[in-house]
Amino acid sequence: MTLQEFLAELELFASEANRCFQAAGDLTALEAARIEFLGARSGRLKQLQKSLGQLPSVDRPQAGQRFHQVRREVESAFQAAQERLADRQKTVRSAEVFDPTIPGVRPVVGHLHPITQTIDQLKEIMGRLGFSLADGPEVEDEWHNFEALNIPPDHPARDPLDNFYLAAASRLAGGAGPSMLLRSQTSTVQIRVMERQKPPVRIIAVGRVYRPDTPDQTHSPMFHQIEGLLVDRRVTMADLKSVLRMLGMSYFHGEVHIRFRPSFFPFTEPSVEIDMNWQGRWIEMGGAGMVDPNVLRAVGYDPEEVSGFAFGLGIERLCMRQHGIDDIREFYRNDVRFLRQF
Amino acid sequence: MIISWNWLKQYVSLDMPVEELTHRLMMAGFNHEGTSEVDGDLAIDLEITSNRPDCLSHLGIAREVGALYGRPVRTPEAKPPEGRTPVQSLVEVRIECPDLCFRYIARVIRGVRIGPSPAWLARRLRTLGLAPINNVVDASNYVLMECGQPLHTFDFAKIRGRSIVVRRPKSGETIEAINHLVYTLQPDMCLICDEERPVAIGGVMGGAETEISESTTDVLVEAAEFAPVSIRTTARALGLHSESSFRFERGVDPEGVDWASRRCCELILELAGGELAAGAVDVGRRPTARSAISLRFAQLPRILGIDVPPEKVREILLALGLRECGSEDGVPSAASGSKRRKSSSASKTAAGDADRIVLTPPSWRRDLEREIDLIEEVARIYGYDKIPEDVSVPMAPSARTKQERVVEKVRYVLAGCGLDEAMTFSVVEPEWSKAFLPWNSSEPLQTQTPLVRGANVLRQSLLPSLLSARRTNESVGNPQIELFEIARVFWPQPEQLPLEEQVLAITSGRSYLELKGILEALLETLKISEPLRAEPANCPQLADSASCRLYLGEQLWGFVGEISSALQQQMDLRHRCTAAEVRLNLLMEAAQLTPQYQPVAQYPAITRDVNLVVDEPVRWADVAATVWQSGGPWLELVQYRQTYRDPQRLGEGKKSLLMTLAFRCPDRTLTSPEADKLRDQIVAACEKQHGAKLRAG
Repeated sequence: MTLQEFLAELELFASEANRCFQAAGDLTALEAARIEFLGARSGRLKQLQKSLGQLPSVDRPQAGQRFHQVRREVESAFQAAQERLADRQKTVRSAEVFDPTIPGVRPVVGHLHPITQTIDQLKEIMGRLGFSLADGPEVEDEWHNFEALNIPPDHPARDPLDNFYLAAASRLAGGAGPSMLLRSQTSTVQIRVMERQKPPVRIIAVGRVYRPDTPDQTHSPMFHQIEGLLVDRRVTMADLKSVLRMLGMSYFHGEVHIRFRPSFFPFTEPSVEIDMNWQGRWIEMGGAGMVDPNVLRAVGYDPEEVSGFAFGLGIERLCMRQHGIDDIREFYRNDVRFLRQF
Repeated sequence: MIISWNWLKQYVSLDMPVEELTHRLMMAGFNHEGTSEVDGDLAIDLEITSNRPDCLSHLGIAREVGALYGRPVRTPEAKPPEGRTPVQSLVEVRIECPDLCFRYIARVIRGVRIGPSPAWLARRLRTLGLAPINNVVDASNYVLMECGQPLHTFDFAKIRGRSIVVRRPKSGETIEAINHLVYTLQPDMCLICDEERPVAIGGVMGGAETEISESTTDVLVEAAEFAPVSIRTTARALGLHSESSFRFERGVDPEGVDWASRRCCELILELAGGELAAGAVDVGRRPTARSAISLRFAQLPRILGIDVPPEKVREILLALGLRECGSEDGVPSAASGSKRRKSSSASKTAAGDADRIVLTPPSWRRDLEREIDLIEEVARIYGYDKIPEDVSVPMAPSARTKQERVVEKVRYVLAGCGLDEAMTFSVVEPEWSKAFLPWNSSEPLQTQTPLVRGANVLRQSLLPSLLSARRTNESVGNPQIELFEIARVFWPQPEQLPLEEQVLAITSGRSYLELKGILEALLETLKISEPLRAEPANCPQLADSASCRLYLGEQLWGFVGEISSALQQQMDLRHRCTAAEVRLNLLMEAAQLTPQYQPVAQYPAITRDVNLVVDEPVRWADVAATVWQSGGPWLELVQYRQTYRDPQRLGEGKKSLLMTLAFRCPDRTLTSPEADKLRDQIVAACEKQHGAKLRAG
């Protein structure tokens, strides 16, 4: 056998072995193919090895190199075939069928309370309009909750039945001083901010407020308000209307018109109810007005110098409308089946 | 307030559709609650704000309609024919408590025939939802609904001593009211009495013994003005609210009292006959003249943002019943200090300056006292729809506070950890307030009225409320209950408002260490560098072997652990759970919201696992501290892996702490022998300080 013949024989062996290994349909067929091509006793590779020994010694290095190359290739082809069939066999043996529709392993993700989400939305909008968040206590004195807000001692709004006054033992100044109460409105924050800051003032206040109401579908003794206040030179009701319209357009994502209906609040004059027209319907949003001159005077501002507007919206009502919630008590029951909907 | 369309027509012409009228009224401040048809008439339900008691009547609404449509209002004259007998010879009136009753007018009609009211009157009352009673009582109710002045009619024959005494009750005095309930009167109430006994609770309700009956022949007609606050407290204290008390609480027209008395007598004479005694017994103070108010035209654009022509301003205010004053004398000008040009010759009107208008409000508008009140009136009638909604408001910078940003991060981390946010009431039941009190043992603040049944204590911890929410979820069979809340707690402080701390509370079904890990992750997110230290919780509400109190630096941050079986029982929970409560205020200060960049290491770290056998009392934190102290500058990480106990292999009272150490040098790759050397150095230090032995394998 010449070198040429040997090399040709080698190539033929390689291509046939590869084809057979690939074509083997199961492990038995593959084993048969292995014996034929790689069998230790009489496989074709063994035959070729014998032929290699009979070549002239001058040709042997070249032939040997190629021989080992081919052997490695064929052996790895066999291995690949074996793994392929082993995998298949495994699957077939347990009768399992891969199902791509099995759900993934989900991390549990929690939920923010819907009230928080509505508050965040409003805070973000008002932030864009240049209003910064201000804060005040939930337990207030009568000055901040009433007096400074133009609600004098005889005013019906101060009736003990309409407020959560703290028990007598917890009065200020050693039990003899003025009463404390859970704030009935976030307007208290207006006073606190104006007392420590000169105009211009441009703030929002958000938080819990408390009013005696028997809980039912639309009433809760504790609820949330958001309040806006802008005091500066030359602030008018047109500014109020325009800011509310921008708030409405951002909140509803579209064209909104504002309507004022006259109303009455002690701390604003003129006082109005705010309606927003969204997609042809008038929606009641809350109350607003121009800061009463008495309030400006109470915090040491000169009502001849500055004017301002204030507005307040009930968060629960907005949130309920936004999500179609029909019972305000759901917010405070904390059933996770409710919380996880938002 | 229900307004009858037919009745209203009596005072002002109505040719518009009812829907148009109610819309105009709504846009003028009278919310329309609904209209229903009653027996050929329309009952229009209007909401009247508390500042407008003058509109709690048909004449009041007629005046508004007149102003809105520019139409005259026809007010009846109320001139009843009088007989010869002077009323003073029949009855005497004394007011002994002028602070509670400002004025009392009595008129007497003798010889009436009590009977049913005519159909027209009965129908009017029915439209308003009132039941007709008899001609005399109905007449007084009619006048009440006509002008808003409450009246009362007594059977004069039953008034003993022929006198009316207005006074405070004697101790323990009682009265049977016309609703046939007996009321015990309290010291500051205003009583209408005869010489012997109370005959009415002034301004609230009449007495049963002197009420008009079929046998009544002589009638005393009372028209009075009572102090609003007194009426309000009396009605509240007795739980007795009437059409009368509702109006007196808000204030009646002091100049309308006598008109109402005359009008009522006129109607009684017409419906029940009889003879009116001449004159009236009119006791108490007379209405005082109203001060004039100056309205500067320039204030309208300054407040409203629009110009209203001065002629229009004048027209509106005059239509509302204000009278223009000839001069400003004695008027405290709201514009003191502002420039006043005396150019009356150029002025359009004779009254005052051209830049202002000076007016006196009508007696029924007690709410009009200041310039701003007139500005509101002009705006209300002129129409808020004239105010533009698209002016450009100047821009202003605004930034979120650090507090907002920290709380938002905390919320998002917790939600990311699979916790749902809850919201619970700030006021809790007394037992709850005591259930978990690790912060503060001072007596909690209480509300006078409970927020909801039984809940009257301002909470000092959120946990009891949150555990109650857990129970709610358990009771409906929700399997996974992972809740957190961020809210304020109230810690009393002497002589001051309470300290309001914002705290975070969590309740979870996870293990103590998992929950502790969430809190540690919070600190990591906020880049808080203050060292976190854990000590035994020493809190009876938490299980000793699975809880701790946490300190940030030297300050108590909070508690975390498994709840004790006692707390579980108290909160009526089916399953044990874990809970945590921490003060957020500490995080506000310590959070670093703008972390500074640290170069990332270029060379690989080399790690070593170390297994140290120590005595049981030795604590991880102490060992870790020694590791850090002895590890040199290249020690980068000390990670706790686990604690292993095995008396056979480790010995009694021993445990092994497994940890992973990582070393890294910033400017080259460390070699294995270097790492071993550092590890040995650490082990030696631990041996010296804690008696630790390296455990092979």
